[in-house]
Amino acid sequence: MTRTVEGGLLTGAAVLAAFGVTLVNLAGGGSLDARVGLTFVVMLLAFGGVHLAIRRWAPSASNALLPPAALLTALGLAEIHRLDPARAALQQWWLLIAAGLAVGMLRIFATTRLDTIRRYRNLLLAGALVLLVLPLLPSSGPIPIKGLEANGSRLWVLIDLGITEMRFQPGEIAKLIVVLFLASYLAERQSSLADRPRKVGPFHLPEPRQLFPLVLVWAASLGVLVGQRDLGASLLLFGAFVGMLYTATGRPAYLAVGGLLAVGGGFAAYRVFDHVVRRVEAWISPFEHFEGSGYQVAQAWFGMGTGSLSGSGLGLGRPDLIPNADTDFIFAAIAEELGFAGSIAVIAAFAMLVAVGFGIALRSRDRFRKLTAAGLTWVFALQTLLILGGVLRLVPLTGITLPFVSYGGSSLVGNFLLVGLLARISHEEQT
Amino acid sequence: MPELILTLLRLIFLALVYLFIWQVARAIARHLGLGRSEGGSRRAGNRVVVVRSDSQAGLAFAVNGATVIGRSDQADVKLEDPYASEFHLRLVSQEGALTVSDLGSTNGTYVNGRRITTPTALQRGDALQVGKTVMEVR
Repeated sequence: MTRTVEGGLLTGAAVLAAFGVTLVNLAGGGSLDARVGLTFVVMLLAFGGVHLAIRRWAPSASNALLPPAALLTALGLAEIHRLDPARAALQQWWLLIAAGLAVGMLRIFATTRLDTIRRYRNLLLAGALVLLVLPLLPSSGPIPIKGLEANGSRLWVLIDLGITEMRFQPGEIAKLIVVLFLASYLAERQSSLADRPRKVGPFHLPEPRQLFPLVLVWAASLGVLVGQRDLGASLLLFGAFVGMLYTATGRPAYLAVGGLLAVGGGFAAYRVFDHVVRRVEAWISPFEHFEGSGYQVAQAWFGMGTGSLSGSGLGLGRPDLIPNADTDFIFAAIAEELGFAGSIAVIAAFAMLVAVGFGIALRSRDRFRKLTAAGLTWVFALQTLLILGGVLRLVPLTGITLPFVSYGGSSLVGNFLLVGLLARISHEEQT
Repeated sequence: MPELILTLLRLIFLALVYLFIWQVARAIARHLGLGRSEGGSRRAGNRVVVVRSDSQAGLAFAVNGATVIGRSDQADVKLEDPYASEFHLRLVSQEGALTVSDLGSTNGTYVNGRRITTPTALQRGDALQVGKTVMEVR
């Protein structure tokens, strides 16, 4: 695909977003208003900006990355506008900020190659840990940076700027930094981690000391689970690491051991934490706990059930009955109002992004870049699978956002940076 | 707003979404296809010439399909180099692109001075080194 085709597709996505907002307005009995034009302009500015930055600073980058992301953002904006117009306006500001940060990052890496990061490996680890611990700061007191608790999880940080406050989830940025750290760590240890001198029956086993980093990250993600009571972030952290270990060594044993550790940790969490018990209740039998923990999941099922083939139409369903429909449950809202067709389109766009991401990793010759691309794609894919699976009741619900679609500034920033990094890697591999 | 128009608009919206996905999918497919037949200046040649060797300098051969190079008599192209393995590397020419893969050789295969670990695409002018023998893609 040429850059021109990419630019055309991005304009198409902006048109779709504006069209979606128009449909919402028409369904509500309103008419065309400034919001429609504004949505179009914001989409064009955000994705056009990143597109131009790639043209200028990473011209050999894959051009299949931005269009699927733009489609997801467009559908997300339309659905958020339908659920809460005020939040949609906020989300558009975040979209511009996220795109601006991605452009800035592409500019920085245009002069300093991605490899430079490897020299600051320990600084990266320290930064990621600080970001992960930030939400545990006291929520009141003299410090202008405060931790914040929402929906039973403590993963928000509130920055008091005097005039106004800013909230964000540092975990969204931390996960990218963790991937960069792990990639540089694994790029050096690849061969020793792949050795398996010990043989038990038909199985080759890695040396116990090789499992040490695996256990360490497992403990760290359990720490996130205990300290912030956040199932999603901790699963994501650990899953990304196991995925990267597997990518680095090609040993399925790591997937098996990692899976066992995750199940074990999850079971222990189930025995210890009330909020995990509630999540499992809502997953196994939402209708028996309809008045309590199962309400959200049950409402989502009603919504998706009424969606049928082409949905009720934007603005014509009742996704507002689902608590948190614009964040965790945005997929249920889309499935209700755009039906089976709309939900398959969303899944297809995610599948494309993941395929392109792993494609970049496969084509990379440099170990560090290969592992970074693979790790970023693992994070993206796992996050999508966990939240889609949670909404569809295939796995217990984990409170994480659906990338690009959900309302949420930190998530949008994190995902724009993720796509920007993938673009940079694919550019460096071509030159 | 009459319901019929809303329904029509909804279907048009969904159709546009799928048109978009179809275009992206086509673009990705074309993008993947590009890698194999780039055309123009980046197109690899399929002739390989030995440019530095104790006894075989000037030896030239064309790669059509797969060609195995090594010290063995059974190799398609036999190298008289004590540092080459019996079956050292394989060259594959497919749709105008030349790829080299190392066949687990003892001393490794170097493309432009860098040891390769995975199948590597070759371009015109690339230097391919096995032991003390240097070959060039033309």
